[in-house]
Amino acid sequence: MRQRDASWTALQVVVGLIFAFILGPILITAAVSFNGTVRSVFPPEGFSLQWWAETLSWRWLEPLLFSLKLATLAGLISTVAGTLLAFALVRRRFIGKAAVEMLVLGPLILPTLVTGIGLLQFLHAIGLGTWVGFWGLVIGHVIICLPFSIRTVAISLKTMPAAFELASASLGASPWTTLRRVTLPVISGGVFAGIAFSFVHSFTDVNLSLFLASPGERPVTVAILAFLEFGFAPTLAAISMISLFIPLLLMIVLQRFVPIGDFLYSDGRSGG
Amino acid sequence: MVSDGMPLDAPSWENYQILLGSSLYRTIILRSFVVGISVGLLVVALAYPVAYFLVRTTSRWKGLLIAVTLSPLLASVIVRTYGWYVILNHDGALNGLLVAVGLADQPLRLLPSTPAIIVGLAHALLPYGVLSIMSSLNGMNPSMERAALSLGATRLRTFVRVTLPLTLPGVLGGFILAFSLAISAYATPAILGGPSTETMATMIRNLMIALLDWGLGSAMGVILLFSTLLLLLAGALVGGRRGAAAA
Repeated sequence: MRQRDASWTALQVVVGLIFAFILGPILITAAVSFNGTVRSVFPPEGFSLQWWAETLSWRWLEPLLFSLKLATLAGLISTVAGTLLAFALVRRRFIGKAAVEMLVLGPLILPTLVTGIGLLQFLHAIGLGTWVGFWGLVIGHVIICLPFSIRTVAISLKTMPAAFELASASLGASPWTTLRRVTLPVISGGVFAGIAFSFVHSFTDVNLSLFLASPGERPVTVAILAFLEFGFAPTLAAISMISLFIPLLLMIVLQRFVPIGDFLYSDGRSGG
Repeated sequence: MVSDGMPLDAPSWENYQILLGSSLYRTIILRSFVVGISVGLLVVALAYPVAYFLVRTTSRWKGLLIAVTLSPLLASVIVRTYGWYVILNHDGALNGLLVAVGLADQPLRLLPSTPAIIVGLAHALLPYGVLSIMSSLNGMNPSMERAALSLGATRLRTFVRVTLPLTLPGVLGGFILAFSLAISAYATPAILGGPSTETMATMIRNLMIALLDWGLGSAMGVILLFSTLLLLLAGALVGGRRGAAAA
């Protein structure tokens, strides 16, 4: 289009360097996982798949499966709740709406770590200290994932032309039929994006899980941190790469059906 | 870990007196702020050129480039920090390079250190800055820039006087997001830092899990929470004033 001049070239160079900064450490981690020695060195010494083989032991499979289960459940629950809340926040006016909005979107910016210690003490205070572990984590992860699912569904709802529902109603459809046959299919992109974002957020969380995990019930991130106390074996690089592939795969699949970008960096004003 | 809960004592300010009265804890709180502000500034400075490029490029690889920029968000902070450990540790890649090139006689002690934590966190949080600034740039009317250029302003002047002021909310948002995520981050300071570089987050973890002092840990948590809220409030005020000035 334009800007094929010196300043654009300079920008390209700067951006190229920043890209190297972004990708460098991740590529280095990938390289280290094939290290031939027990030390995490770069450039790698020798080549070996033993660290990848080690990730298949129960020691790592257990927290990995735990994280999958936790993230799936947290993603589904927070998106069901988030869809209902998004409807209320976008479509209705009610007393205390601003307060509800702050309450459910707050965790997006407030430190998850504080949510974690708060929830830990709350569970103990109401006598549910035994929930620390899986159920405590589910509750905590739903809380921190809610803002993501509400946001994606709300964006879908706001960008849907109101005429769709009016047309359906004027053609004689009941409100229920309109919801089922018109509204839900149109916002399904936002709902699926909500599930996926929540899943990823839960799967990669450290700050909350740190406080709510119990020794037998801990997600893979907490397991990696616990292992770090003993040093940096290349196994950690391998397990780190696996914990990167799972969300990556999910996003690649999602991208085929839903324009993810609309939910990430739209200014929220388009069409609505 | 305790199973039967902590007794709730009568409320008192004692924990806050301990935290704010001890120079050790004050240093830790101050360090967290230094880390938060440095990370926020670094993230915004690095994110702006990337966001500008991604929004304005006409390359057919645009989609892929955006995906690559944001892909670190799919990895846990631990994954994003691990590579920095490999680069910065005593016999790590950077030290190997420095010695090989002759810039250092012997490996430097780069870890644990506060600058390492700052670089690691800025790397981990960069995508948030890019997202925030991209959404501001996307919301800006591009004919504003063309108008400035056609009226004879240089590219630099157009950027400083038109583009930057119009996207300042995105910059501010990116800074606040990076700051609040940085001062509450646990994994990066835990991996790249040590006992000499404790931050509020690592201290809270130690107090709560290792020392089982929930009162002190929670008081530190409240200080962390209020630091974030204070910044949000300041951000809202600055944003509001700017909005009023524009109107």
